[in-house]
Amino acid sequence: MADARQSPLQKVLGRSTRTLRVRASVIIMAVVVLAVVLVPPLAQLDQQAVDLAQKLRPPSWAHPFGTDDVGRDLLLRCVYGLRVSLMVGAVAALAATLIGTAVGAAAGAFGGWTDRVVMRLVDTCSSVPHLLLGIFVVAMFRPGVWPVVASVALTHWLSTARIVRSEILSLRSRPFIDAAISGGASRWRVTVRHLLPGVVPQAGLAAVLMVPHAMWHESALSFLGLGLPAHQASLGNLVQSARGSLLAGDWWPTLFPGLLLILPTLAIAGLVGAWRERLSPRRRSELML
Amino acid sequence: MLELSNITAGYERGKPVVRDVSLAVSRGEAVGLLGPSGCGKSTLARVAALLHRPDAGTVVLDGTTVTDYRHRAPRALRTTVGVVFQSPRLSADPRLRLRDLIAEPLKATGRRIEIRERVDELARAVGLGGDLLTRSVHEVSDGQLQRACLARALVLRPRLLICDEMTAMLDASTTAALVAAVENYRRETQASLLAVGHDQVLLDRWCDRTVSWDVPPPA
Amino acid sequence: MTAGTLNATLSVRNLSVRFRMRGGRHIAAVTDASFDLAVGECLALVGESGCGKSVLASALLGLLPANAECEGAALLDDGTDLITAGERLLARTVRGRRIGLVPQSPAAHLTPVRTVSSQLSETIRELRPVPRQERRAAAHAAAGRAAFPADHLDRYPHELSGGLAQRAATALALVGDAPLLLADEPTTGLDRALVERTADELRRTVDEGRALLMITHDLAAAARIADRVAVMYAGRIVELADATRFFGEPGPLHPYARGLLDALPERSFQPIPGMPPELGDLPAGCAFAPRCDLADALCGTQPRFDGRVACHHAHTEDPSRA
Repeated sequence: MADARQSPLQKVLGRSTRTLRVRASVIIMAVVVLAVVLVPPLAQLDQQAVDLAQKLRPPSWAHPFGTDDVGRDLLLRCVYGLRVSLMVGAVAALAATLIGTAVGAAAGAFGGWTDRVVMRLVDTCSSVPHLLLGIFVVAMFRPGVWPVVASVALTHWLSTARIVRSEILSLRSRPFIDAAISGGASRWRVTVRHLLPGVVPQAGLAAVLMVPHAMWHESALSFLGLGLPAHQASLGNLVQSARGSLLAGDWWPTLFPGLLLILPTLAIAGLVGAWRERLSPRRRSELML
Repeated sequence: MLELSNITAGYERGKPVVRDVSLAVSRGEAVGLLGPSGCGKSTLARVAALLHRPDAGTVVLDGTTVTDYRHRAPRALRTTVGVVFQSPRLSADPRLRLRDLIAEPLKATGRRIEIRERVDELARAVGLGGDLLTRSVHEVSDGQLQRACLARALVLRPRLLICDEMTAMLDASTTAALVAAVENYRRETQASLLAVGHDQVLLDRWCDRTVSWDVPPPA
Repeated sequence: MTAGTLNATLSVRNLSVRFRMRGGRHIAAVTDASFDLAVGECLALVGESGCGKSVLASALLGLLPANAECEGAALLDDGTDLITAGERLLARTVRGRRIGLVPQSPAAHLTPVRTVSSQLSETIRELRPVPRQERRAAAHAAAGRAAFPADHLDRYPHELSGGLAQRAATALALVGDAPLLLADEPTTGLDRALVERTADELRRTVDEGRALLMITHDLAAAARIADRVAVMYAGRIVELADATRFFGEPGPLHPYARGLLDALPERSFQPIPGMPPELGDLPAGCAFAPRCDLADALCGTQPRFDGRVACHHAHTEDPSRA
């Protein structure tokens, strides 16, 4: 019945572009995850295998993504790089979300001067460009995976803290919090049992959206030579090492790592869009009695 | 039991919604506070329940002069008062089942042992039967949810019950049932009642005396 | 009011609404509802929250969610069936033009950042071919019809009292000069004085030649303005009665309606025992039987609605109906 009430145009456009986007996102994410999980153990070639006779070959059947300046297979290098970038991105996003949620929840739940001090601190940190702050963090350590993760986590928790704080502030004024306080609940219990569960969907959403951000941050650091060690394949390192060949007119060592950075970003954005739509209360209530 | 003297309270500086109001509820007494919507009577109710710090005036609850509000108020004093709000939807944590909703104050005060007995007893008292206790908050009607909210307010055996427009969104039969449940509890425990509302007929029928908002009641 | 009355502005015939739920379950929110509504008449649809009355209103406006299934008909006087009409038809010719909606919460219904007069003008532009320079005058006229004071037209919603906000919302509902008004719980949460004022405003618009379907659980408001009362219980209309008889003597026929009235604080203040059944799990016979002290074996079968009441043991002094 409801379908009959949609105009045909709405039906064709509105509906199918949405499902199309979601489907494409699911497929891309599935391919990315499968490649990252399955290719390394199954691959017959060694990603580090140097073959100078085959250096800088354009894409072909033998090497679908071509080869780099020392003749390594770029498809394999890209898959390994994507694996590292995704892992760094996911771990860093998780860490950033945990920090941001803890700080935001504390600021929101305590209020008063705690809130003022914490939020001014957040504002101050936000006023410094992320990359600059990130460089500052990695510069303090030897190159490696963990400094990069720390660099991303320490620069990206700010937005989550803000989201969580405002969500907590809006929840805090609800009568059910009044009821909990009146029922003898301590501040800790109110925060952990009644406030935090309410922000989980928002924080989760922010965490997933942060994965591509973290990947880009990692790539930027690696591109600047400050991220992962140069021998370790990461999308940023691949683009970095391909700079020379791009000037010589060889496009493939730059294009494919770049694409692999963009595609998961788009796919995650598509999935988050669909998720957000499901979360919105108007769509969630199927029944309105 | 409750003495509110010269209370001034509000949410923004310089814009009090309650101005110099005094009200007293003695032990075992039921007082109706009648006023038009938006006049500040809910704010006064929140002050009385120690949920909102007044800008001026004193609150004496059960012989104790209140100095701190919300979390800072001593737990024993906070739980002397049970509160029921106007909208059951907003006053129930949406992720809970009704059983957990009612048991929440027992858990919060470390009295888990009593849960089984108390919750069943209260569910009977407010007329929540069958499998309703196992349902989650969004699977029950407003009336059923308000019954659960009343049970939650009664679970710690408060000596003062504050009902802020408890029945404004409910139909006649549910209203009568909830008022009957409150009165049964008060008969058993000699608890006091502050019923805030805008329905004169209802408050006159329910309470020992009704004070009207526009004439500031004498302390 | 008999079936097929010619001057009926709205005539609902055997309307049923079911929600398809997960796991193949169904919830029968409205079952077999039939009534007529004529110009100059106010019908109050009363019942407990969750009895299906809001679903009925949503069905009439075509605003049901996608998992709803409708049967039956709801005919306007020109034969348009609200149940089968497409979204385009409803949006272009019905909502605002044929049916005006008086909202439950006027404060939330008005856009907070625009003045009353700009909201009225916008609605006028959407609904009527009024030239730009005359729109302000039209807005004044619309405000006048809802007794909204002209000197408050340039105010923002938050600067209005609850009563004036209600009048502003009513003025918006009246702009399209719809012959049928639908008011969904227009008095919920208002204080008594405001309830009476709102009820009187609505009554006045009815007396100006409109039909009003008011959905409410507030029996006092219903008593104040309704010509007829339809009582809904567990998705069915169980009684359809003249308001004077219903609220006065001899009172309602259906035991549920009698119980509802008795629960009022100005009457005996006694609740009906028990709670209404789940719409997803209705008993086979009369849905009220488990709470009814007149129930017997006969109540295991569904009582037929005879145009006045659906009950095997309807209250009556008329022995021929016993």
